[in-house]
Amino acid sequence: MRPLPHLPTRLVAFSAACVLLAACAVPTAAPQPPAPAEPTQPAPQQPTAAPAQPAAAPTPEPGKVVIPPGGKIRIGGSFALTGPIPDPGKDIRQGAEIAIDDANAAGGVNGFLFELVAEDGACSGDQGTVVGNKFAADPTIVAVTGGTCSGETFGLKPILQRARIPFVSPSATNPAITSADCDVCNRVALSDALQGEVDAEFVYKELGLRKVAVMHDSSDYGKGVAEIFRDAFIKLGGEVTAFEGAKVGDTDFRAILTRIATAEPELLFFGGYSTEAALITQQMKEIAGLQNTKFLGTDGAYTQQYLDTAGSAAEGAFMSYVAGDTQADKLAAFREKYIAKFGIEPEKLGPFHAQSYDSVLLIVEAIKKVAQLDAAGNLVIDREALIKAIRETKDLAGITGTLTCNPIGECGAGGVQVFTVENGQFKQVYGFGLKR
Amino acid sequence: MYAGERQGDIVALISRALSAARQGGAGMRIARRMLGMLLIAAVIVRAISVSATENYPLSFWASQVANGLVLGGVYALVALGYTLVYGILLMINFAHGEVMMIGGVAGFFGLQIASALGLLSGSPLEVVVGLLLVLAFGMGIAALTGVTLERVAYRPLRNAPRLVPLISAIGASLFLQYSVLLIFGVRPMVYQRPSLIADGMRIGAVFIPYTGLIIFLTSLMLMGALFVIVQRTRLGRAMRAVAADKDAAALMGVDVNQIIAFTFLLGSALAGAAGVMLGFHNAVIKFNSGFIPGLKAFTAAVLGGIGNIPGAMVGALVLGLAESLGPSALGIPAEYRDIIAFSVLVLVLIFRPAGLLGEAVVEKRA
Repeated sequence: MRPLPHLPTRLVAFSAACVLLAACAVPTAAPQPPAPAEPTQPAPQQPTAAPAQPAAAPTPEPGKVVIPPGGKIRIGGSFALTGPIPDPGKDIRQGAEIAIDDANAAGGVNGFLFELVAEDGACSGDQGTVVGNKFAADPTIVAVTGGTCSGETFGLKPILQRARIPFVSPSATNPAITSADCDVCNRVALSDALQGEVDAEFVYKELGLRKVAVMHDSSDYGKGVAEIFRDAFIKLGGEVTAFEGAKVGDTDFRAILTRIATAEPELLFFGGYSTEAALITQQMKEIAGLQNTKFLGTDGAYTQQYLDTAGSAAEGAFMSYVAGDTQADKLAAFREKYIAKFGIEPEKLGPFHAQSYDSVLLIVEAIKKVAQLDAAGNLVIDREALIKAIRETKDLAGITGTLTCNPIGECGAGGVQVFTVENGQFKQVYGFGLKR
Repeated sequence: MYAGERQGDIVALISRALSAARQGGAGMRIARRMLGMLLIAAVIVRAISVSATENYPLSFWASQVANGLVLGGVYALVALGYTLVYGILLMINFAHGEVMMIGGVAGFFGLQIASALGLLSGSPLEVVVGLLLVLAFGMGIAALTGVTLERVAYRPLRNAPRLVPLISAIGASLFLQYSVLLIFGVRPMVYQRPSLIADGMRIGAVFIPYTGLIIFLTSLMLMGALFVIVQRTRLGRAMRAVAADKDAAALMGVDVNQIIAFTFLLGSALAGAAGVMLGFHNAVIKFNSGFIPGLKAFTAAVLGGIGNIPGAMVGALVLGLAESLGPSALGIPAEYRDIIAFSVLVLVLIFRPAGLLGEAVVEKRA
């Protein structure tokens, strides 16, 4: 007789409970950061009140970034360098570096050069929070490019909003990244509100399919776009036989797919990233009832990594992408510099390098507008003025088209494209800019 | 929905039974048993009502059982490592999942070498030999990792308080994960299946991939081999002697250090085999691929009764089946798969603290 279970049993119960708790945690709830570690920012809510603030400390001035002569204008970057999509994250970082190089080659601002402070946002809300707190605690960070993933950007958003640091995301597509109540939130990528709808139209009208199953990876991005697709498809009159979630990092989807197969859907939509999309494409071939079902993935899986992982199973799969209104001459110049600097073609890593370049360009142009030299030769950037200047961007010629920010911070140009995989390559079959 | 009302009843019953359980003594055992029965009955009722409304065909259940058995086979191979080590050292080797991952990574490089040598595109016999070599390579590297781990991270702490080697194990786990991350990068390594095992077989409407079949059969074979080693050889007898009483075994002339190292070697080789086969089955391996399977295998080992070898196998198969059948049988979203797995663990710990088959072994030690 034991009055109590002995140690390992209790330990096991405890660790199991921890895992259960972790599994139950709702991923959409962006974790609230601990007390922001930036006492120097009294965060003037009224933009006009900024100059009236009493100068409590000589440096740094509240609401302003003061860069002494010889200093650099530091732009933070949150990139998904680890996590589920390391290659696209690296691509986005390198695109940003090219933009910084170009801005510096053009002379910077009044002789002050730019510097990219790259951090790993790891494509997760938790890590986005960590990166956000790091930037908020650093009074020299002027603006932020990123994050790469939607979940990561939801981690950044409330912290940067409070710290009055504007950000421009090149690739976070969840519709809720920008909102009327967030004046620091901007992006160049197009919203999934558009992607989900165009995808539904493509499946219903172009392919003529009526019965689909929808899967997602439970990330903010994947679940978001899957929900929009589902609702849009039902609105068009189609039938959605299943709406199932897996997890980022899962490798065995056979149990879910077997269940989805019972309703014999004509197409499986998956909102999520490359590896999971590739494994689902592969494992569909093993499930009776899904062998002839078509597959449609989203921009998170529009990568070389998807093609490499899925191999021959990818043939005939569809993939949608939120494309910019690409300017061929600008892209060619960009690619030349990129290949010269990094020794790899950007397309081999990921799709969002041009958006990343434009995100930095947008920030740089806005800084040029608001930065002023003071009597001591310091470069002074007013945070509130910068937030406003980014939002007021108009007709800026970027690689992804003519960028104009709307009142809630949607700055991108372009449209949704759908590709199919043919001989191991993506080939556009539908959507924006397709010449028939 | 109808399930909501019934849940209300069940909650009331559970709270009543729990308050009865707190009264203690023999009444507590009876109350606990009743509560267990009640939970099982509730699950069965729910499963029947769901299957009546959903009307899945028989082939669906057969496919899910096949999925579950494959999953269970992988968990079993890893769980055996946990249980062997626990049986001998009374210590949980939390780095064991990482040993499996390293087996998978080694298998990936073995596969590259084998295909560079043209072994995987020749005659079926050559391919089989090539695959066995890949498997052996993965097992070898994993065994090496396990033995090194024991020598470096656990042996110096053998006489330390029991929590110390546990913390060392968690440290070793992180060390292995992030070493692989730094050396090989974050990009997942992709196993390309040779065409011989790329397809599968069809039994009626049920499709079983060859890789799944191979995993299940190989796990059974390896578990059989382990049984023979432990029960029928001198080394096995020495292992059992060390498990029963280290000091007495040493007095009888058993080299305890050697036996413990051998135990790690056996367990790690099995985990390495699981890593390689999982690589072929699920196509990708990366630095954190061992974490969740390791946790699940640990769960399986505890479920079956940690320290008990047949228990680990039974626990793993139960867990695999619960994961693949559970969401469909209970009519809940598939994303709650892990919740089912760990709920099964928590419930078994409440009602059978020593695990499904673990009574005899654990009673003796406690």
